[in-house]
Amino acid sequence: MEFLIVSTLNGVIYGMLLFMVSAGLTLIFGMMGVLNFAHASFYMLGAYFAYTLSGLFNFWVGLIVAPLLVAIIGMFIERYMLRRVHAHGHAHELLLTFGLVFIFEELIKLFYGDFPVNYQRPDYLNFAIFNLFGTDYPFYRVFIGLVALLMFIVLFVLLTRTRVGMVVRAAERLPDTARALGHNVPMVFLGVFGAGAALAGLSGAVAGAFFPTNPNMALELGVIVFVVVVVGGLGSLAGSLIASLLIGVFSSFAVGLDWSLASLFGLIGLGDWANGLGGLVTMPLSSISATVPFLLMLIVLLVRPAGLMGSKN
Amino acid sequence: MRYALIAILALLALLIIAPPLLGTGWQYALINALIAALFAAAFNLLVGQGGMLSFGHAAYFGVGAFTVIHLMQSVEYGDIPFPTVLLPLAGAAVSLLCGALAGFFATMRSGVYFALVTLALAELLHSLAPHWDEMFGGEAGLSSMRMPSLGFTFGSTLEVYYLTLSWVVICIGLLYAYTRTPFGRLTLALRDNEQRIRFMGFNAHGTKIVVFAISAMFSGVAGSLMAISNETANYSVFSTQVSALVVLHTFVGGSTIFFGPIVGACVLSLFTFVVSGVTHSWMLYQGIIFVLVMLFAPKGIGGVIQAHIEQRHALPWKRLAAPYALATLAGLMVACATVFVVQSLEIVLSREYAAAVARTGEYAPYTVFAREWQVFHPFTWLFPVLLLVPGLYLLRRAFARIQTLWDKDDDDDGDIAAAPRELMEGGH
Repeated sequence: MEFLIVSTLNGVIYGMLLFMVSAGLTLIFGMMGVLNFAHASFYMLGAYFAYTLSGLFNFWVGLIVAPLLVAIIGMFIERYMLRRVHAHGHAHELLLTFGLVFIFEELIKLFYGDFPVNYQRPDYLNFAIFNLFGTDYPFYRVFIGLVALLMFIVLFVLLTRTRVGMVVRAAERLPDTARALGHNVPMVFLGVFGAGAALAGLSGAVAGAFFPTNPNMALELGVIVFVVVVVGGLGSLAGSLIASLLIGVFSSFAVGLDWSLASLFGLIGLGDWANGLGGLVTMPLSSISATVPFLLMLIVLLVRPAGLMGSKN
Repeated sequence: MRYALIAILALLALLIIAPPLLGTGWQYALINALIAALFAAAFNLLVGQGGMLSFGHAAYFGVGAFTVIHLMQSVEYGDIPFPTVLLPLAGAAVSLLCGALAGFFATMRSGVYFALVTLALAELLHSLAPHWDEMFGGEAGLSSMRMPSLGFTFGSTLEVYYLTLSWVVICIGLLYAYTRTPFGRLTLALRDNEQRIRFMGFNAHGTKIVVFAISAMFSGVAGSLMAISNETANYSVFSTQVSALVVLHTFVGGSTIFFGPIVGACVLSLFTFVVSGVTHSWMLYQGIIFVLVMLFAPKGIGGVIQAHIEQRHALPWKRLAAPYALATLAGLMVACATVFVVQSLEIVLSREYAAAVARTGEYAPYTVFAREWQVFHPFTWLFPVLLLVPGLYLLRRAFARIQTLWDKDDDDDGDIAAAPRELMEGGH
């Protein structure tokens, strides 16, 4: 029971974090058809900027200014790089952002060194919010979840209930018509790209203070985020929310379970035979927990190739 | 065509004659360059010809490598007699199977999804391998020894070089031959218009799986050669770095031309060999080169060369010479400024330098470009600016001039020169 509740809680919060990063990615994709490989780099940049700013000023300044800086970088990339290669097709845009991933990673290594930096949350945020079965549950985890939730609500209201959201959705569905009606569509694209980058930067600034902040964080999270958007269906916010939570909960359960294929065979009386096989069959789920998202993705692809909430190709 | 053939034969002769005169370090670098070239050519079958952008080709490269290591271990312990020269065949076979399986999943989706699925498949292996001791030897990996075969001991790097060269030449030859077969034409058609392929009664999904599997097979050969050369392999062959490098090689070289990726792979891996000895930031330079190529020469180095060859009779070479020289000079200035800043930052921001400052309490001068620089002297930071700003200005001027000369040329001889360009661009 303890395991069940703690794992679910951790999983949901990790899922919310994944959603925070994938929301911007899927928003940008839905609108511009650009899959931004460098999106997870924005997450990393957010964490590092916040680390520097929290050293210079304080934690909250970092939390607010870092996303803005990331947004500026994002808009620069959209305006002066992506727009330039747009004529050569989506594959080139994808490749360009792919190249940027390496530039960002190497620049971070150049400036901060190829090792984790000590980005910490302030002490007054370091307390236990409640006590679960004798262990304290850190408030900061809940804080990450709350920020993500707040972000989802703001995004949802902004997109569906305001004039700005209407223009954005119009520019997404029918860019030419939106332009004909007098809206500055390239400006909208620029804004959305900046906003998406800011979201990633914000999640980096929030999560970097809890998880390690190192030059590999972009790649580590990036791959999982791509799995999220494939499972959820690219371009669908709701899909990526569901997929994030699914993957978050699955990963968090997998870490704590020592089930293996052999124990599955044990249920039907083939346990000894399976244990004798060794290799993959006896490997406990906990040690291969990193593979769980990818397995989930393969299953989704087999059953529902368009993703949970995605439209057909 | 005749010139191309002569050029290839001359290059081949050079590759056969030169290595014994070089040191072991260069021989080893050439082996890596050849392997990278084969990997890029195999990758380009999928990307350039099949139109399927994969970000996880390290998987099939790695599968080939591990297959060969396992087989080499068996040979070493005397379990199976298998000639060392034929080892890549085993890697090819297993990679073909894995490629067919992975291709079945990946080709269910196209475009961006395909790229993501291939990436995730490689990551699946990458995250699984360190935990699976029997198969991948855990984090340390597996190693083995090359056994003598066919009278060769394969003890020296040179013998391994010739083995690699033979396999790479044969495989690239086969890949080229593939493009001339009807199935090769079908692959191109798959890239250009999949809908139409289905309309004509071909099985598009099946064709994609076959293309994917063949590409994986040749990647497996490259991986096998890597395993033979290193006599070891660990889970890092599945890493995103490996997948990323082949993408970089292919697109810097130019994916629309058969020999583009091969050129790109050779140039970039030799560049890495030279630069990585001097600086830690070699990956940054590669990233910058890649992004610049994507921005300003989307068809890659190969595309630029091809455009020049196609237009060689029509271009006003005499008038172009000055702007080309100016562009080279300005490019060098910008490159110098960039390298200077990066190298300075690398030294000044390093842990060693920080420790030295803490120890002695003063900012010691550092050496870049064989000259000592003071960290807080204004000239140190004025120097790159003085190179960068005029460099960028001259570069813009030179390229504007080159552009007008090329365009004017198009107007002069009318449709003949413009037609192939339109064809090429219409093909996307």
